[in-house]
Amino acid sequence: GKFIFSLCICNFLVGRYAMQALKQVEPQMKQALKSFPTTAFGGGYYRGGFEPKMNKREASLVLGISPTANKNKIREAHRKLMILNHPDRGGSPYLAAKINEAKDLMDDQMKK
Amino acid sequence: MKVTIIVMGVQVVGRAFARALQQEFAASQAAARARSTGGQQSAAASSITGMSLQEAQQILNITTLTPEEIQKNYEHLFKVNDKSVGGSFYLQSKVVRAKERLDEELRIQSEQTQKSQQNTET
Repeated sequence: GKFIFSLCICNFLVGRYAMQALKQVEPQMKQALKSFPTTAFGGGYYRGGFEPKMNKREASLVLGISPTANKNKIREAHRKLMILNHPDRGGSPYLAAKINEAKDLMDDQMKK
Repeated sequence: MKVTIIVMGVQVVGRAFARALQQEFAASQAAARARSTGGQQSAAASSITGMSLQEAQQILNITTLTPEEIQKNYEHLFKVNDKSVGGSFYLQSKVVRAKERLDEELRIQSEQTQKSQQNTET
């Protein structure tokens, strides 16, 4: 009787501890999930919105090129994507702005 | 022999508790959703998905939150950003996540509409 009782308490506490531990790591888990697409669910698309402030990694992802791409590659990628996403042809101004921002950022980074 | 029985007993209790915890969690989530306002649910959706409603609207260039406009803009932007035509998979991903976020917003709104209709009927 007492033995089973203390086992129950034990399981209950373990469960609570596990849930509290999960709460602690949740933000890190979310951040980790954001950085790579997961193929298991939903077609492998990247998660979340754009970064609050664009960085080089995101810029290279937006343009679909290597972070170490040269000036020509940057220009070609930008041109191609702007044609596809041009606002005058039904594209989204917001996405066009992101494509421009990505190109500027990578050009600036190259000069450094 | 006695040890085996005790171990099995522990496993049964353990599993039952895990199940009970899961059920409690799911029930409290559902209750929270039922109690919460549209604003609260929307904020929660933005937090969980990492995409705000505003950004989703900007990405799909949405002015009115209607299923027709959302679907039309989504299909176009999904197509032009497809890898098969040389588009950026990252951009296509954002288009997909924007659509998901807007669909969730529509769901929240329709749920709230139903709730308020129920309240006026009672």
